[in-house]
Amino acid sequence: MTMNRIIETNSQEAFIQEMEKVQDALPSRIDANPKNVEKGLAKLVLTLVELIRKLLEKQAMRRIEGGSLSEEEIEQMGETLLKLENKMQELKEIFGLKDEELNLNLGPLGDLM
Amino acid sequence: MVIYTYGVIDSKDRIDETIFGLEGAGVYNVSYRDIGVAVSELREKIQEISDANVLKHEEVIETLMTKFTALPIKFPTIFNTKEDLLSMVEFYYQDFKDNLAGLRNKVEFGMKVIWPQDTIKQRIINACNKSNHSLSISTDSKAKSFLKEKFKQQQIEKEFQEEANRCIAVVDDYFNKIATEKRLKKLQTDNLLLNAAYLVEKDKQDDFKKAFEQLKSTPGDLKFLFSGPWPCYNFITLTKKPSSVDYFNTEDMLNRLLAQQGFAQERNAV
Repeated sequence: MTMNRIIETNSQEAFIQEMEKVQDALPSRIDANPKNVEKGLAKLVLTLVELIRKLLEKQAMRRIEGGSLSEEEIEQMGETLLKLENKMQELKEIFGLKDEELNLNLGPLGDLM
Repeated sequence: MVIYTYGVIDSKDRIDETIFGLEGAGVYNVSYRDIGVAVSELREKIQEISDANVLKHEEVIETLMTKFTALPIKFPTIFNTKEDLLSMVEFYYQDFKDNLAGLRNKVEFGMKVIWPQDTIKQRIINACNKSNHSLSISTDSKAKSFLKEKFKQQQIEKEFQEEANRCIAVVDDYFNKIATEKRLKKLQTDNLLLNAAYLVEKDKQDDFKKAFEQLKSTPGDLKFLFSGPWPCYNFITLTKKPSSVDYFNTEDMLNRLLAQQGFAQERNAV
């Protein structure tokens, strides 16, 4: 090498592990081929659903904290979010997806979540 | 025959130095107006994405950088004809000119930081448990208990992100004044607090390395991976809408180089 490079670390193995995780978690393309097209599409759709679910949760917390909801409305909201989370869990299991896989790399904007 | 590309350079002239590229092929300049692309002619597409080929690609770019400003092209990018290559250069010409001007006499350094996320998260959880900041709703139903728990999780996550921001600011402060530009990626995994690339003037490289020496001598339980100088992989910005092919997305390659070449060097050193 011509650039007189320094590469220095105090924990080589830890960095190898983390870099592998980053590479595995964020493929640059949706992996769609005849064998796993369902999983590829499910990953894309569930990522978007997960984003909306998290936004809903945050909004719900804000409204409850703000005191603008009645006890009944809080109960309904809690039940809805609980069911939504359970359903997501079910779908992730069906398609063999892990939480960290539900993300999209938006290039210069970083990751979706 | 196909045309294999290494990088865009700020010269339209013939490359005087003899450089051997992939498969031992000579490297020459395909010029367009006042710039060029360093290429080799290969018999066919690269079949094997091997470490040796990646390293050769990198080696050619580094050799080019000793004489020119070079924009590294993603490995392995090939064009079927010279005309195809020239139409790409024509399309991006102004972007290439701007990037070549912006990256002149500059190199890239990488800085990755792992933090003890388990310990930090546990500390935050303990603090949250002690504080009275929780949702003031009853827990007389499953749904309400769920909301209360979610609220707590959100508070923990929020505090975790804020702690990460504080910690990144401390690390970044060592390099910020020396670098001309930076790309910081926060928490790509829970452990990987920071994955940063800094653009540094060539004559400030020593200052930058000294800053790292200072950082690593400070007490704490952060783990560091410092590397460089590299060609400017992370600082090429194209304003024109890229085609379906991304010629300059070289981040994967940098990680690969680091893992293969860098850690191999480290192992040899030990």
